[in-house]
Amino acid sequence: MPWSKYRRRSQGAAAVAALLLVLLASAPSAEEKQLSIYGPRVSYSLPVSEHEGQDYVALLEALEPFGNVSARAEGAKWKLRFNRLEAEFRQGTSVGKVAGQKFGLPGRFVLENGRGLVPLRALPAILGLMLATRTEYHEAGRRLFLGGVATHFTTDPRENGLRLNFSAPVNPLIGTEPGKLKMSFTRDAVVANASILKLENPLVSSITFSESNGEAELVVLGRVPLLAQFAADRKAIEIVPAPSEAQSAPPAAIAGTALPAAAPGTALPAVGTLPAAVAVPPPPTLQSLTAKPAFVVMLDAGHGGDDRGALLNETLEEKGVTLAFARRLRSELQGHGISVVMSRDADVTVAVEQRAAMADAARVAVYLSLHAASQGPGVRVYTALINSASSKPGGFVPWDTAQARYVLSSRALAELVKAELLKHEIPSSQLSAPVKPLNNVAAAALAIEVAPSGADVGSVSAGVYQQRIAAAIAEAVVVGRARVEAER
Amino acid sequence: MTRALTIGTGLLLAAVLGMGAYLYSLRRNEQARAQNLPDTRPISAPVMGPASRVTLYLAYDDPGVVRAQEASIALPADPAERGREILHTLVGEYVKRPSAHELPAGADVKDVFLVDANTAVVDTTEALAEGHRSGVFVETLTVASLVKTLTANLPGITRVKILVDGKERETLAGHADLECFYDVVTMEQLLEQLR
Repeated sequence: MPWSKYRRRSQGAAAVAALLLVLLASAPSAEEKQLSIYGPRVSYSLPVSEHEGQDYVALLEALEPFGNVSARAEGAKWKLRFNRLEAEFRQGTSVGKVAGQKFGLPGRFVLENGRGLVPLRALPAILGLMLATRTEYHEAGRRLFLGGVATHFTTDPRENGLRLNFSAPVNPLIGTEPGKLKMSFTRDAVVANASILKLENPLVSSITFSESNGEAELVVLGRVPLLAQFAADRKAIEIVPAPSEAQSAPPAAIAGTALPAAAPGTALPAVGTLPAAVAVPPPPTLQSLTAKPAFVVMLDAGHGGDDRGALLNETLEEKGVTLAFARRLRSELQGHGISVVMSRDADVTVAVEQRAAMADAARVAVYLSLHAASQGPGVRVYTALINSASSKPGGFVPWDTAQARYVLSSRALAELVKAELLKHEIPSSQLSAPVKPLNNVAAAALAIEVAPSGADVGSVSAGVYQQRIAAAIAEAVVVGRARVEAER
Repeated sequence: MTRALTIGTGLLLAAVLGMGAYLYSLRRNEQARAQNLPDTRPISAPVMGPASRVTLYLAYDDPGVVRAQEASIALPADPAERGREILHTLVGEYVKRPSAHELPAGADVKDVFLVDANTAVVDTTEALAEGHRSGVFVETLTVASLVKTLTANLPGITRVKILVDGKERETLAGHADLECFYDVVTMEQLLEQLR
């Protein structure tokens, strides 16, 4: 049929374009700069870009978690409205207005695809004015603290180890290297008064604290192989000697790779029963390095650019809601140590088939297509309307039925997402639906449609509501990761 | 002016006013009568054939279900025309106001083609897709309702493709896939969840 021919040709072009995009997007994460912002109620990370040798961040994204924020570009002028306050800048100039006051930037304002970017060094002052709060910026570590929030820790030597007590619950990524236990805190506002703490302890010789690229890191130098265990309230970490058999156990990860701690309230029900890290693993083998591709989640913010999606009310377009939600979900997933790629991170047009081609080319483990609706209530989770029996063995995966092999895994993940949403008291339902392009994705794939919780359609873009949903979905991905990995 | 002339003019004026009032009351009575009559205007060309019982699978936005409903409509003998007439009746339910699952004015099914013993192609008007509300759920309800209604009433049809104004379209209104063929087995999975 003529349309099939056309489609195959466009699929080919889309796949090539997508591959290029993915290759660009999947550059080593070590080079991706980020800023972490810690507030009294929310912590999140933002990507940092470079312009004229300076670090820049998107101002709208920085304010999104704190309330209703909108921005519009009129030629070279860019206006942002946050609650009742306004900020105004002009592309290429370094003077603007923030909350009614003249404001000088340490570099020129950048307007990129409709996003307003400000020099990172100006952000603490701008947030201070817009949020009317105290800010403290750790420039070397790219960590910004709002409203005096900080998590301190103390050491408490124990008979058979060392206990780290924190002033607030923490959820670090824990990894091991020979003789070291590393704890990386992305979402926790952990601070220390000194960079090194020498200890007279039979297990631990010293603890060092450092900050870099939006993360704080505690490195525990051990005299013997060590293991970390969380207390149930997550306000303490016990450092104990690793059992001798742990050294001969199969490695749970390639050496040097951080292991994600389990999600709060899911995998750590009892005090000190489950190690959050493995003992020092043996060096990586060729087999371990070439086995499976990394666990990466692709977030596909629906619509964008020329395609506005649904008009949810007089002013609210679906494409904007999905992008804001994707950014929140990215932050949540990254907080759990999960790598994320986005199909778009700006208001740009991306063809539907190109989105699936990007996911397939990147060999992602999970693909989440994000949508929004005006009719609720809550969140609807969809899996592809496809028969798992139509999966065919062989090296090539048919484009139209690429999802068939993964649909059972997708349904299992959808059930987990629904369960986590209900745990967070968000109404949710799960069903199969013919959502484009789920059938073309060769990975666990879901479409998630966020609808208002009540009668107010505007609530679908509310930061707090989106944050709760994002947290629930991220936790479901963490819980379902093992099954998804097993079925890849 | 003589007295007789004055009286004559007065009588004439009274007669004119009386006639006017009478005509006004006649008009009102006729309007009231017309309003009480059933609307028998056909919404499309009348179909020749005996009335048959068919099952329409009607979508309800709230609470988000698809339910079977019996209807009696005149159906032609040709299976493709029967399919068109059944879907035309179904879409007519959605175009009415109020409707439990509103479709835009002008939404209709132009043709149903039976490609082979198992496959049907439904050609809808452009207005159905262009004016359709955008959203995964509302679009899914429309597709499920159309496909299930057709396959339930045309025995043997197991695959359905939807076109818009004679052309293939990527999605209905940004979400629901219109490039694929819908088969009865997978559609049944969805309908099970929508009951």
